[in-house]
Amino acid sequence: MDVTKCVVCRNCEYACAFQQTGDFKREDSNIRVEYHNDVKICLPQTCMHCEDAWCLEICPAAAVVRNEATGAIEIDSDRCAGCKMCILACPFGNIHFDKINMVSRKCNLCNGEPNCVSFCISGALQYTAAQNSCQNNREIFQRFIETISASNN
Amino acid sequence: MGGVTGNREQYTSLCRMCDNRCGINVYVENGTIVEITGLKEHKWNHGRLCVKGRLAVDMVNAPDRILKPLKRVDNKWQEINLIQAYDEIAEKIKKIQSAWGDRAMSVWKGEALGFLTQENLYRRFIHALGSPNYFSNDSQCYVGRWLGYALVTGDWATQDFIRSKCAVIWASNPPYSQPNLTQSILNGREKGGKLIVIDVRLSAIARQADEFVQILPGTDGALAHGIARQLIEDDNISHSFIKEYTVGFEAYAQYVMDFTPKRVEKETGVPAETVVHIAREIGSRRPKVAFYAGNGLEHHENGINNVRAIACLDGLLGNLDHEGGNFTAEKPALKDLTLYKEKPLRHLGPIGADKYPVLYDFRKECHTISAMDTILSEKPYPLKGIILTGANPVLTNPNSQKVIKALKSLELFVVRDLFLTETAELADYVLPAATFLEDSELHCHPIHQIISLSTEIVTFPECDSEYIFLKKLAARLGIGNYFPWKDKEELNRWLLQDTDITLETLRAHPEGYKFKPKRYLKYQKEGLPTPSGKFEFVSKYLKGHGYSELPEYVSPAYKSSPNPEYPYVMVTGARKVCYTHGRNRNFQRCRSAIPNPDIEIHPIDAEILGVKTGDIVTVTSTVGSVDIPVKVVHKSNILPGVTQVTHGWQESNINLVTHDDRNDPIDGFPLLKSVEINITPKQNRNNKD
Repeated sequence: MDVTKCVVCRNCEYACAFQQTGDFKREDSNIRVEYHNDVKICLPQTCMHCEDAWCLEICPAAAVVRNEATGAIEIDSDRCAGCKMCILACPFGNIHFDKINMVSRKCNLCNGEPNCVSFCISGALQYTAAQNSCQNNREIFQRFIETISASNN
Repeated sequence: MGGVTGNREQYTSLCRMCDNRCGINVYVENGTIVEITGLKEHKWNHGRLCVKGRLAVDMVNAPDRILKPLKRVDNKWQEINLIQAYDEIAEKIKKIQSAWGDRAMSVWKGEALGFLTQENLYRRFIHALGSPNYFSNDSQCYVGRWLGYALVTGDWATQDFIRSKCAVIWASNPPYSQPNLTQSILNGREKGGKLIVIDVRLSAIARQADEFVQILPGTDGALAHGIARQLIEDDNISHSFIKEYTVGFEAYAQYVMDFTPKRVEKETGVPAETVVHIAREIGSRRPKVAFYAGNGLEHHENGINNVRAIACLDGLLGNLDHEGGNFTAEKPALKDLTLYKEKPLRHLGPIGADKYPVLYDFRKECHTISAMDTILSEKPYPLKGIILTGANPVLTNPNSQKVIKALKSLELFVVRDLFLTETAELADYVLPAATFLEDSELHCHPIHQIISLSTEIVTFPECDSEYIFLKKLAARLGIGNYFPWKDKEELNRWLLQDTDITLETLRAHPEGYKFKPKRYLKYQKEGLPTPSGKFEFVSKYLKGHGYSELPEYVSPAYKSSPNPEYPYVMVTGARKVCYTHGRNRNFQRCRSAIPNPDIEIHPIDAEILGVKTGDIVTVTSTVGSVDIPVKVVHKSNILPGVTQVTHGWQESNINLVTHDDRNDPIDGFPLLKSVEINITPKQNRNNKD
């Protein structure tokens, strides 16, 4: 996720929402992007699929599981009791509540071919193996910091 | 080309939901298109697609799509058979020809269906019929910029962003208007290039700009001249290019000397120090500077010269046809479908050519705005019939009331489209058209010098593709000999006849076939395709037509003679991510994303007017008025006093207030982006009820 390339065009949001519900409602999307006018930052946000995932640990219904094939942390909506504990536990706010089906929703990496990446026209979203992305993310983050400091000057 | 997995077939093609032509995979199940994804191998989009691309699935299968010919009978639509429709239309065309002359017939090509082959087919058809009147959307979009550059360099170059050290995006928002151009701009920036965005609004691409320069509408020429002056003063210019390959530098340099940073600030709203700063940012990176001139530049009374002013910067920087600069792409030697050599018809007075000879000389475009006056006044001669394809001028041409009145008064108005658009509603006949997924055309991506073939993937019984429609109609009009090719396959083979490219080669290269390796600096040996063969800071050709030979800057009317009754200036036509011009409003999904039109206003203006987001205001100009909801944007998004309304909404058609009689004197483009308006809040009607 390269914040120096995101232009907050929202193609990822609409593509994700479409994948979930067949509609383009932003609130159904598991990825959210926002432009912060005052600091001039474009920020995409979606599940980090944490190594030690607090949402998975806290879920009383054992509905939050790791997909061994893709590494994604997924919610089994048949098991989800709608208690919202995972939403409270996620430090990044990347889980939202589906009020119609009364379950929590989050990114599942579309079984290894994320739609948000396919529909990201700026190249800000990339889907790469973790070992390749670490160095890359570090570089990107360094640039991000430079951007923030530049915009605050 | 294709493949079958289970009952799912896969095809490759190119998207035409906008002009970007991204490579796509199209999946078909039981004869129905069910999915579209980005084609990873395609050199343009590398597998990425915007949501409009996927929407083509909705478009092709839409429940409200027109699948049967419609005829207006007693002001009601009656479904008729296709053969009957073509027969009746042909008879009516013949009647018009014999009663009013051949030139009383015309065609009008829009953007909703096809590409270049379609355009040339319509040009061929109307000339074969004996009329010079070919109209298209191009006489108010794209051609203004093309002409502005062509008058200086002979062509409009494409941008080598990926190799540039400085990308200047001027009055354009590629993430919405040319989605996958965004990748190359930002990849160039990732490699250390600067991104400068010059715009009235803080657009999506401006969010990533290293320098965002916010400018008053229609003042871009003054800024370009200010940059030029600074480059010359800093001696940050390419002397060798100027000396060897340009004409008129002395006169131009003298002219721009008056554009001091202070004067530019006063004119454009861009701080004097910013003018100096960006001139240095650009100059220090020459010649690897790539400029993209956007649609925001061309809808003004001074549009062409503003574009020329920007084009002239290439002459100072030496970036023309340079690696990382503005690259002049070569074209494949396709056969020409048009009949301008065999049957020029200039003597028949193509509509608008007398008033805007430059537009006709360079592009053989008649002037759609003049067409409305011609229809209503019968001057200089009667125009009685239009066959319009994939266009919606009721929403996209200025002064909609006049457009409606004119189109209604035609003797024969035939519309080919996918949906019953606001324009189709006025027709005598509405013919079902084929989408781009039901047609096969040749396409070039100039920046890569690649050519691709789009694929006919599905067909619908009565939805003829453009070629087949024209062939069938031509046969009924005695001009069938101009359309001898049995089908599109034969036509495409003929188009490729003089090249060493075959359809088989193109089918084997869905990623795009490189027809020629890129060569830079071609002008050094071959000259430029201008009258002088050189880069023209001054144009003797324009002088010959009575225009200024220099790209003279004229201050927009809202600045030079403000009208206190219309204190706001309105820009129209900023793009939205899921819409293209007047299209896609019938897809519920898009309405979920962006439900309604709005007028973007600055928080200060909202306070003065006492309105908040969602309140309805009336926008008024000397032409008309329209009601529209307000959107109060962040204070950095737009300057106080400046507003923006996107076109293409039937419920708030902003072209009800735009002028059709205030056009750029050179190319006749309408004033759509610096319109003087007044804004009045609707009196809280809800509270009264």
